[in-house]
Amino acid sequence: MKFTEKYVFVWGILLLLYRNLFAAIDKMFFIWQILFPVFQIYIMGYAYSALIGDQGIKIGASSISYVAFLTTGMMGFNVMQGSQIAGTIFWNDRKNGMFHQILAMPFNKIQYVIANLVTLIVIGLTSATAIILIGLPTIFQDMNITAWGISYTIFAIVAGSIFFGSFTIILSTKMKSSETYNVFSNGLFIFFIFVSSVFYPAEGLPQPLSAAFYFNPLTYIADITRAGIFSQVDAFTNLEVLALTLFSASAFVIATRAMVKLQI
Amino acid sequence: MKTSPDIPLVDNENENCIKVTNLKKQYGKEKPLVINDVSFAVKYGTVFGFLGPNGAGKTTTLKILTSLLNPSSGNVTIFGKDLFKKQSEIKRKIGVVSQNPSFEANLKVERSLDLYGLLWGLNDRKARKDKVKEILKTFDLESIKNSKNDELSIGQRRRVQLAREFMHDMDLLFLDEPTVGLDPSARRMLLDYIKKHVKSGLTVFFTTHIMEEAEYLCDEIAIIDNGIIIAFDTPLGLKQRYGRMNKSIEITFKDNLNEPFIDILKEIVKENKKASDDELNYTYPEITLKGENAIKIKVNDIEKVISDIFLVVPKNGMEIENISVNSPSLEEIFLSIVGNSKDIFNKI
Repeated sequence: MKFTEKYVFVWGILLLLYRNLFAAIDKMFFIWQILFPVFQIYIMGYAYSALIGDQGIKIGASSISYVAFLTTGMMGFNVMQGSQIAGTIFWNDRKNGMFHQILAMPFNKIQYVIANLVTLIVIGLTSATAIILIGLPTIFQDMNITAWGISYTIFAIVAGSIFFGSFTIILSTKMKSSETYNVFSNGLFIFFIFVSSVFYPAEGLPQPLSAAFYFNPLTYIADITRAGIFSQVDAFTNLEVLALTLFSASAFVIATRAMVKLQI
Repeated sequence: MKTSPDIPLVDNENENCIKVTNLKKQYGKEKPLVINDVSFAVKYGTVFGFLGPNGAGKTTTLKILTSLLNPSSGNVTIFGKDLFKKQSEIKRKIGVVSQNPSFEANLKVERSLDLYGLLWGLNDRKARKDKVKEILKTFDLESIKNSKNDELSIGQRRRVQLAREFMHDMDLLFLDEPTVGLDPSARRMLLDYIKKHVKSGLTVFFTTHIMEEAEYLCDEIAIIDNGIIIAFDTPLGLKQRYGRMNKSIEITFKDNLNEPFIDILKEIVKENKKASDDELNYTYPEITLKGENAIKIKVNDIEKVISDIFLVVPKNGMEIENISVNSPSLEEIFLSIVGNSKDIFNKI
């Protein structure tokens, strides 16, 4: 690809990103992306803390409060939750004829997929920043922000957005209607949420359930995010980084192929 | 039997904006060909009408030409370049208004026009704003510029969809049944607006069901049915070629018609049927009584029938009060061509 072609390709993605952010997404979605974690952190977090008591939760070599554990878990959760928007954008574009129209313009399917994923990354990073700010009182005592640590957190959010965005795009291309898509994605997302380390750690669970946690990329997203925020990066975190990279790269390749093969 | 008319693929490549050669499309190995060896060319600065009944292959052809769909075989060149090799380069110079509505539900009309201009590379904010203003005025959208696309009627949404396409400069415009949902004045305004742009060099590929529009706008028309182009000419050429065979005569006699004379007329019409040798262009002759002293005859060879009638009228003591010959409309020609092609396909 020549430089000018590369430039045109990237510029096309940026234009579609702008369009996604300002035209394709309902403003209520952004509000919900902020409100939901607030509810989870301050109501569920403190309610469960009362049940758990003062015992901390072990992260690497240190121990943090449940509410701090939950706040950082919510960052991963929000990445997954936000990824639904990739499917929603796609379904709305199909329903409103914009998918067809965009592809008749100087954009191709690969640019469309990448633009949707970049949209998720932007939403993921923005909502993660918002959660850090909103949840600051809950993590302030335990957090230890370093450039090295925060790069892990950013990686988790970016790779997580790619995985879940690709996942919802794959589902969208395979499902015949938006209703079937919603049923499937909601069902699968319940698995992702509850068989992950978003709300509770994998350690101490029965062995099969604990193993199942590690077939779930959301566990890696939550774990890596926490390791970054609390500066608890170790060899296991790096293994999780590798696993998440493989999950995300595979999902991206499958999503792109599914989109290219899709008959209009 | 003539199922594929000779369509001139103009030799001089510089004259052709679109050139389609032996195009075929099949949606699966066992499925029938939706587009069956179609070839045609569209000259620069003309409006090319692509007509056909539902399911004839119009939209599939259009999807291939706008690179939304890959053909099973065949070649397409647009602006002298291979469509499948220079897709993105070609797409930058074309506009597409598809048959189905397309709109940004969450945006207001003005904002959606602005966004569309931006997506098309109109980066200068001031230029974009001026263009939006001009389009809003031209397409009579000023009163709804602050309404969300979601809140508009089907006709209003269609107008926005059409207007939007003129936010950017293009050399070739694909219009897939663009006037569906438009009221007559909006329809006429659009056709005139397109005509104006064609005069300044725009080439238009136009599919429609509405024959008056095709007649009003198109320089050349191809009629497709069952994936095959069955007729190709200018609107006038089609009328001359196929209309000659489908004229009707209305004759009013001074006296009431009687049974023996009607039988003589029927015999003349029957003879005309025998004489017809052009199966595709043939419309079955009809004779209809119009009151007690008038008849309407639909025939292929009108001159022959009139001269035969003139011979038998005085012999039977009848006198003609009035005679009129009616040319068929493009719609009647279309129905005749498509109807006859269906007869042939059914026979096959």
